[in-house]
Amino acid sequence: MKRLNSFIVGLFISLLSLPIFAQTVNEFPNPDDPLHVRVAMYDALMRGNHNNEGVFMQHVIFPPVGVEKPLVGSQEDCLEITGAMMAAYCYRYGVTKKPEHREQCHEILRGLVKMEKVTGVPGVFARSFNKTDKPLWHESQHFFTIEWHESTSMPGYRWEGDLSSDKFVDICYMLSVYYDMAADEEGKKIAAGLIDRFVGRVVDHNFKLVDVDNKMTLWGNFCPDLPHQALNSLEILAALKTAHRMTGKDRYHEAYRMLIEKHHYDDEAIMAKVIWPEMWNVIWDDKLACKSFWQLFGHEKDPSLLNKYTMSLNRHQYSWANSKYERIGEIWFPMVYSVLTGENVVTEKTIEAIKNMQEMERRTRKFPVTQADGSVKMVEAQDENNAAQLIRNYWFGRYYGFIDASW
Amino acid sequence: MKTIVYTLLGLFISLNALAEQKSEIPSPHKGMVYVPAGEFIMGSDVGDADESPKHTASTGEFFIDEYEVSNTEFKKFDPNHTYRKDRENHPALVTWDQANAYAKSIGKRLPTEKEWEKAARGTDGRLFPWGNTYDLTFVQYNRSQGIAQTIAKPKSPYGCYDMAGGAMEWVQDWYNPYPGNDVPSDKYGKKFKVLKGGQAFNDVSHMRCAHRFYLPKDDRNNYLTGFRCAKDVKR
Repeated sequence: MKRLNSFIVGLFISLLSLPIFAQTVNEFPNPDDPLHVRVAMYDALMRGNHNNEGVFMQHVIFPPVGVEKPLVGSQEDCLEITGAMMAAYCYRYGVTKKPEHREQCHEILRGLVKMEKVTGVPGVFARSFNKTDKPLWHESQHFFTIEWHESTSMPGYRWEGDLSSDKFVDICYMLSVYYDMAADEEGKKIAAGLIDRFVGRVVDHNFKLVDVDNKMTLWGNFCPDLPHQALNSLEILAALKTAHRMTGKDRYHEAYRMLIEKHHYDDEAIMAKVIWPEMWNVIWDDKLACKSFWQLFGHEKDPSLLNKYTMSLNRHQYSWANSKYERIGEIWFPMVYSVLTGENVVTEKTIEAIKNMQEMERRTRKFPVTQADGSVKMVEAQDENNAAQLIRNYWFGRYYGFIDASW
Repeated sequence: MKTIVYTLLGLFISLNALAEQKSEIPSPHKGMVYVPAGEFIMGSDVGDADESPKHTASTGEFFIDEYEVSNTEFKKFDPNHTYRKDRENHPALVTWDQANAYAKSIGKRLPTEKEWEKAARGTDGRLFPWGNTYDLTFVQYNRSQGIAQTIAKPKSPYGCYDMAGGAMEWVQDWYNPYPGNDVPSDKYGKKFKVLKGGQAFNDVSHMRCAHRFYLPKDDRNNYLTGFRCAKDVKR
């Protein structure tokens, strides 16, 4: 009887602890840990729980909901998170010069190669992928079901399509930083090939991101013949500048000049920041502009164009200067502005925000899991968001001297 | 003197004809606008391949709703319809089957793709219901906005609101190529229904009147899919 009781208690404890021990890394930093300790622990959590074959997941839901491994969650923005991790690792390599840190940059590049390979169409990138041969329950929970595809080029994988202009920026930005900071000869060749196929396909389709159904994706419009937002003009100019720089192909420079001379994309780019109405003054546009500025400044030598890009950057800074740093991504902006313009706008308030950066959390929630018979069952599980921007902010700040290693 | 007499006579005949024509325009049902029969410019040569060719199409006369059907209105038809508490005045997000059933239940129907596009862009081939320029303040771009809550409140040439952004709108037609379009697609056939007008949060180009989207008629896949109704003109 005693043995049976022990068995029942043991089983109960095992069941209770199942969702907790299913994760690879479980240690979270304390808010009063030094910044460098917090960053190292967040990084361990990201690498342990969010790494999906080189691509970083924005959000993971753990078993019993997240099938056999903790890699299932909303996946629309994985490229943003992957891009932030690529930048973080590139700047970390710039600081440490350790080969293992450089290898982690190569690992992300290999993940990006897979994001193209899984679609089976050169130049078409997935938003994300999962190693599974059947649809996962969350495909219909988080985004439009129609955008998930079974891979024919990588059997046993499913991938999410409908790439947006946002992810277009993320891909160009991360390849650009990798190329400049961490790539060896082989890496440069791979990165140049990726951007050539990716941006080349957009140019070939009259500056549209065209999906596998031959239609422009829901957000993939840089086309001069279609109405488009000023931010998209800035984004395509940045991408063409990067593609030209990395491939050396004149077609990208010619496309860049054509959009400027014939369609005035440089003038449109000045207005990339929507300052009013307030509801459209949004941080996600700021992040995209920031990554685009990064690709243009330092590589554009024409003073007239640089003046216009600086005007656009200043319109952004007008808004950023009032930031309360309520979102972690905002902390990056003054550092970028300072590096690009040489005018230090990193204030005491910014430093305080940097020192206090906290981001990741794990929660227990109930998820509506669709069962095999089509019914929906509420299942309790833990999920975890990511710390990619925090880690990127940290290593960017370390590399450019805004952050002291002892903090 | 002779010239003046002829001019006045011509003017009298023209005004009389106009007055007669005006009297022939049937009164629209409440909440609907009248769209006369005739040709208009449909499609586009600069959008997706399925929008081409830009061509002349024609419709008969018809009535069409001024606004999309709201949650409050749809709830009267389907008491099981659910929506967020503060979104009574937002477009009802439903499948094609639900939209079609609603329209039939009140003696109306879904507009054809031609009717929808004509009601949205008039006869002159404009990009958007208000013309060819674009600003975020013209459209239902933010999901928090209800029907006719845009800042600029533009209307189409025939007086329809919210035909750009907000919710995409179901039309009667299956997703098929236009006459003269030879770009193949495995999506064509009796598989998907057409949606027009673009939805909140997507690229501005999708809010052009000529843009086409497609979805299965019984599953909206989390897209923002609403509708407005049309009605034949009985003489």
